[in-house]
Amino acid sequence: MIRFDSIRVTFDGFTAIHNLDLHVEPGEFFTLLGPSGCGKTTALRTLAGFVDPSAGDVFIDGRRVTTVPSDKREVGMVFQNYALFPSMSVWENIAFGLKVRRTSGAERDRLVEDMAARVELSGDQLHKKVSELSGGQQQRVAIARALVLKPKILLLDEPLSNLDAKLRHQLRGELKALQSDFGITTVYVTHDQDEALTMSDRIAVFNKGRVEQVGTPQEIYDASASEFVCNFIGDSSSLTPALIHRLNELARRSQLDPARLSYLRVEKAALDLPGRSDHLHDDGSVTVSGRVTARNYHGQHSRYTVRLDDADIKVLVKEDGRHGPGLGEEARVRINPAHVLQYGATG
Amino acid sequence: MLRSPAVVITMTVLVWFIAAFLLWPNANLLVQTFFPDGQFTGRAVEKLMSSERAMMSLGNSFLLAVTLALTVNAVGIFIVLVTEYFRIRGAKVLWLGYATTFIYGGIVLAAGYKFIYGADGIVTKFLAGIFPDMDRTWFEGFFAVLAVMTFATTTNHMLFLGSAIRNVDFQTIEAARNLGASSWTILRRVVLPTLKPTLFAVTILSFLTGLGALSAPQVLGGQDFETITPMILTFANSTTSRDLAALLALVLGVATIAMLSVMTRLERGGTYHSVAKVAAPLQKQPIRDRGANIAVHAVAYVLFLIYVFPLTLVVLYSCMDSAAISTGVLTLDRFTLENYVRVLSQQSALKPFIVSIVYSALAAIISVGGLLFVTRLMLKYRGWLMSALEYLLHIPWILPAAMIALGLLITYDRPNPLVGGFVLSGTVVILLLAFVIVKVPFTLRMLKAAFSSVNGSMEEAAAIMGAGTLYTFRRILLPAVLPAAAAVAALNFNNLLDDYDTAVFLAHPLYQPLGLQIKANTDGGASVEAIGNTFVYTVLLMVVMGTVMYLVYGRLNRVRRSPRARRVPLQRVGGDAGTPNADLPEGATTEESSAAPLR
Repeated sequence: MIRFDSIRVTFDGFTAIHNLDLHVEPGEFFTLLGPSGCGKTTALRTLAGFVDPSAGDVFIDGRRVTTVPSDKREVGMVFQNYALFPSMSVWENIAFGLKVRRTSGAERDRLVEDMAARVELSGDQLHKKVSELSGGQQQRVAIARALVLKPKILLLDEPLSNLDAKLRHQLRGELKALQSDFGITTVYVTHDQDEALTMSDRIAVFNKGRVEQVGTPQEIYDASASEFVCNFIGDSSSLTPALIHRLNELARRSQLDPARLSYLRVEKAALDLPGRSDHLHDDGSVTVSGRVTARNYHGQHSRYTVRLDDADIKVLVKEDGRHGPGLGEEARVRINPAHVLQYGATG
Repeated sequence: MLRSPAVVITMTVLVWFIAAFLLWPNANLLVQTFFPDGQFTGRAVEKLMSSERAMMSLGNSFLLAVTLALTVNAVGIFIVLVTEYFRIRGAKVLWLGYATTFIYGGIVLAAGYKFIYGADGIVTKFLAGIFPDMDRTWFEGFFAVLAVMTFATTTNHMLFLGSAIRNVDFQTIEAARNLGASSWTILRRVVLPTLKPTLFAVTILSFLTGLGALSAPQVLGGQDFETITPMILTFANSTTSRDLAALLALVLGVATIAMLSVMTRLERGGTYHSVAKVAAPLQKQPIRDRGANIAVHAVAYVLFLIYVFPLTLVVLYSCMDSAAISTGVLTLDRFTLENYVRVLSQQSALKPFIVSIVYSALAAIISVGGLLFVTRLMLKYRGWLMSALEYLLHIPWILPAAMIALGLLITYDRPNPLVGGFVLSGTVVILLLAFVIVKVPFTLRMLKAAFSSVNGSMEEAAAIMGAGTLYTFRRILLPAVLPAAAAVAALNFNNLLDDYDTAVFLAHPLYQPLGLQIKANTDGGASVEAIGNTFVYTVLLMVVMGTVMYLVYGRLNRVRRSPRARRVPLQRVGGDAGTPNADLPEGATTEESSAAPLR
């Protein structure tokens, strides 16, 4: 559906995107994820036709659109701040593109009302000013305005980033539901990993103008392809060479390379019941004992820091009423070496 | 950029305007002064040095500038503190009294003071009845000019210092009190230092106001206190001394530029603004010492009377018959509307008012209308050329009005190819040109801020839906900046309405604006009717200007405070540009240095 072919974007000597190759399937909810300044928005704007790449090509539905003006690319866009026109009513906002295309009056009325119904905007709301709508309603107007032109692709540029946390959660669901309802190929830009993991079919993680990994949310999380992806998404503890050695000794099948950078996701470590330490379980995991150096209470759970050899391992423990070990006490941590993520050169 | 004919036309007009009206007339002043016959000559300097009167006026102007900077600061800081910082009873009423200078300034105010305190003034006559031996010209000369200008030019303090003090983070005051500081220490060590850049700015504006003063010294200076600008005017009227006028204008221009560059330099040093992420709004401070509290209240109300007294008398006497005006009587049975009837029905009396309104409205519309396109282009096609043109458009800001007027006058008094071989001096066009020119920098800054505050994504949203550049400009950008543009036009109109300084150089003899008429009525031989007319003019001006001010600022505040505006959770989405609270972009008032009401 969408193909970026060796796209390179430079601004005044600064290379925002180095050599981007991406492929988005029809109907997919595809997310460009990364920290600010990583090039994700530039990639989206290149697709929209607001940025001219200095090399490479963009294809939409097999057609090369690199030099095609943005309104001829059949893409709809929802902007970060929605960019609703404040001088017009909700109805006029949605009808704007149709009017520019000189769609006949009757047809225009039909299309606008039809679209408004699909995004659940009432007739009453259609004649309000956009400033009189709530954040959620404004988002629906922005989506309706983009979709009424029947684009092949919907582009969303961090549409939830300016909202407060509660509204953000609510609109996230609403947005995803609308997308699956319309079945439209969607490219979504965000810096919020939570948003990316819950909404996307596939994610491309950007860093410094390059794509570090493309995959499903689970692939990105459980099998992060690079140290950057591992650190950017989720939370993990860094394992030291000494601890890796010990894991290798205990779990005879495990052959982790101590010279590489090693991480363990916090929820993959667990506190074991008191008993025999330093032993191997049937599932291949091992129990290692250490001492609790810190405990942060979060209500639903606590986050323990346990010193194993010279490594500080973070462990999440559900606060289900049972007493965990106290500060300075011994704690036994269960780790499966298969969950350890390793990066960097060997040797 | 060069493909669009609209762009090419706008750019051509812009470059021509800058060359013909901003650059050449002022450069020509230099040429006329130092190269009158194509060769360098210092004759103008020699003439100036040998003219005792001219040298005296130079000295007087600098004396006025320095003392005015001191007195305006003293009064200005005091009135801002009592209206914004200290808890004073009746602060709102006091504020209204001090704020009269917003709608009552310039030649109108100078004339008002003369009618009241001058040799034939109402108060002087009254006093002379009690003390027959008193000096009837007591309100004349340096002291009178300084007093009038001090109370007339605190407008800048109310605008800039007032807004700066409202932005002081109240938490810093509470923190200081918590650390044991007294009220006085807090004011001196915590509050005033954060106001430093604003204080520098208003000091320099006051200095420049004193330096370029025209109407007050002309009306109240008398024989013994002449200053530069009236002198320029006198010299400009005779061909043989025009070089002298040009040289004095240059001196004024150089001094202005020097002071403004000092101001910019001072503003750059240091962090004065609040570093707080969440600043708390200022709460008024009680004066705990009882004696000090009484003294401050007393001074505040005495100042209030000084501000309001002349104005009140003007309003009251505008409703008195001629005999009452000439004898200084104020009784209810002399109440009449004959002055108003006369001004509004007699063509000769109404004409100056109409002339002023037409000139001001045209200039306001032309400056805003033209610059709407220019500003849009400047923001769309950035580059060194646009930056250079933008800087050049600020020329009228750094030059005194008298210099601009004189430059136009002596440049276009003969056929000039820059204006199609026409002579402009003496025509009705030249004053309109000057009005437009002096309004260019303020208008440009305001419109630029208005365009910049428009959410850039809206243009892209329109583009992605297929709207063309002109359609986007017409349907999206123009509606978004129109409230701001209308407000700027209204302020321009207000500011030009009582203009005297430009008109006195350039006005057509048959189409004299109000400022000139009022000045003429202050000259000794004016009839009682003329004085009555002036009172009516003053009242009408205040009504018009007050209404405009209310429409621009009053409505703005009301919208800002309306509960609905706050309730809408996503106000920045479109709200910025759409609701009328964007009428005036942030910092609107800080840009209004050209509004110094009395020069």
